Amino acid sequence: MRLGWQTRLHVWFRLLFLQASWSYQRMQGLGFLFALLPGLRKIYSEEQMREVSLRHAGYFNTHPYLAPLVVGAVLKLEEERAIHGEDRSIDIDDFKEIVAAPYAAIGDALFWGGLRPLVAGITLFFAVKGIVWAPLIFLLVFNLFPFWFRIVFFEYGYRHGIKSVAYIQEHNLPDWAVRIKEAAVVVLGGLCAFMVFSHLLDHQLPSWPGLLALVPMILLGVGARRGMSTLLLIFITCTIIIVAGIFWIDVALFLKL
Amino acid sequence: MILELLIGGVIALVCGLDRVAMLQILVSRPIVAAPVTGLLLGEPLIGLQVGVMVELLWLARLPVGAAVPPDDTQVAIAATVLSITLGHQLEALSVELMLLSLLVALLVGKVGQYFDHCARNYNSILPVQTDRALENGLFGRAQLLHLRGLLSFSAAALLTYFTIVTCGLLLIPPIWPWLQISMSYSAGLLQLALPLIGVAVILGTINVSRAITLFCASFGMAFLLMWLVQP
Amino acid sequence: MNLVLTRIDNRLIHGQVLEAWVPHVQANCIVVADDVLAANSLKKLMMKASVPSRMRVEIGTIADVVRLLLANTLESYRILLLFATPADALRAYRLGLKYEQLNLGNLHADAGKARFSCTVFLDVEDLDDLQTLEEAGVRITARCIPADTDRPWRRLIPGPRGADS
Repeated sequence: MRLGWQTRLHVWFRLLFLQASWSYQRMQGLGFLFALLPGLRKIYSEEQMREVSLRHAGYFNTHPYLAPLVVGAVLKLEEERAIHGEDRSIDIDDFKEIVAAPYAAIGDALFWGGLRPLVAGITLFFAVKGIVWAPLIFLLVFNLFPFWFRIVFFEYGYRHGIKSVAYIQEHNLPDWAVRIKEAAVVVLGGLCAFMVFSHLLDHQLPSWPGLLALVPMILLGVGARRGMSTLLLIFITCTIIIVAGIFWIDVALFLKL
Repeated sequence: MILELLIGGVIALVCGLDRVAMLQILVSRPIVAAPVTGLLLGEPLIGLQVGVMVELLWLARLPVGAAVPPDDTQVAIAATVLSITLGHQLEALSVELMLLSLLVALLVGKVGQYFDHCARNYNSILPVQTDRALENGLFGRAQLLHLRGLLSFSAAALLTYFTIVTCGLLLIPPIWPWLQISMSYSAGLLQLALPLIGVAVILGTINVSRAITLFCASFGMAFLLMWLVQP
Repeated sequence: MNLVLTRIDNRLIHGQVLEAWVPHVQANCIVVADDVLAANSLKKLMMKASVPSRMRVEIGTIADVVRLLLANTLESYRILLLFATPADALRAYRLGLKYEQLNLGNLHADAGKARFSCTVFLDVEDLDDLQTLEEAGVRITARCIPADTDRPWRRLIPGPRGADS
């Protein structure tokens, strides 16, 4: 009765299309069913399929990189349910609902909030230096971790079923996310220093005023915290720079004369 | 020129789908999308520079739940296409033109969020039809309905891309002679300012206590180190 | 008590709350008032596991949470309070938890619910509950994440609309 590797591969491959029909009503719901179908077909008969598939088409949303873990576990649970009959300890829908929001929170913090800025910061050092392969570095370094999650945890979920939540609980991933974010802030600090320094060097200006770049940056940061939109900040800054650029020449000429 | 726009369109489609609908291997990040566009159009360095400037701008806006971040992917691709196409046309393949294209793309790029919303709204019809298909035992149809969502996301990506490119092609040539001189004074600083704004926004919104302290310490140390080793 | 944000979000603790709202309002304690969640120990455990350990998390039934907040044991914290439904928010208010503002985050689609914005779906009872709260003096606004604009919920009512950010 155990699902063969071909079926699991099929399910895993379909997980790459999890969000294809993302909508405000069901979010990833239809995608979840789409991924699960090849597995369900092996487990259930045609008559049972109708009820089971309707059950899985409902509202569902989690982080796309952690969805394989949920799908793997649900496959296992459905398999057990088909063998042992209606479940003893936990309802499969409840399981989905219980893990969806916490996994989403963990994934968002870990991948979008932490890893993405960190790898972007590292890659930009190469890009600012003019290395054309920088995008490849970004893709390779970033995807290493998500794909490890997507592949290994899919299998882990399928092996351990409902017990797969223990891994997430034990490893305290949210604290890791905080550490990655701190690392990202440090890397971005170095990156900004590098960009400011090389700008001053290129224009043959003295380097010490570069430290003053921190002042406008902190002001902009405070503005962002107060809820000013990025676009607004961009246009305030660009207007100041362009206008100053025009008048700077006049001032310089005036002073020399 | 048409060919250049179409190549950009293909990249816009692939990267736009990677953003939400499928794969999510992050080819949609500006630091990947823009250099690839530049490479295919024969000016990899322009793409790389656009990528550096856009990558950090909206990095702080996370695609969490139903929140739709600004479409930095299409902004980056369209800005690269615009600066290369117009650069050939106006014979001004320069940093100034690239910055102008980028600023126009940033402004017009706001429509990206609107189109993305529309795509997600349009997808609302899919659950209803899927439920009906499933009740009738038509699983193949349910799968197709799911994949049909790709069409609305493709449409959103292409509409955003072509809107930005069209606006750019119409707007930039007439204003370019006016701004050419004034941009040349500020180009260097603008090119530096955009990534710094992005970092500032990240600092203001990241979920790390003492982010500013960490940042200042790291900035100061890196700066002093470079000053020390400077020949 | 220092309530920095009171929010209705049926997903309770998730990415938007942790990644967008917590840094925006600089909260260091999340309080979840939900009877269903309080009764489900596995779900409670998972919710707690998704929060970094430097943040304090309190999960309880509505009555428990009201008691906890009114007892001022969390005096030194900046609290982010979460409800799952407008009915829960109203019940807490009636039990004596007087908050001044209420943020509508995600209230997802269900049978019988009409759509008011991309993420807010309400039925007649929800509307009644919100109206009662408003009449009691609570300022109710809809805002999914801090980067969106803060819109009074009344503005959502005339008709479903699309783009909102």
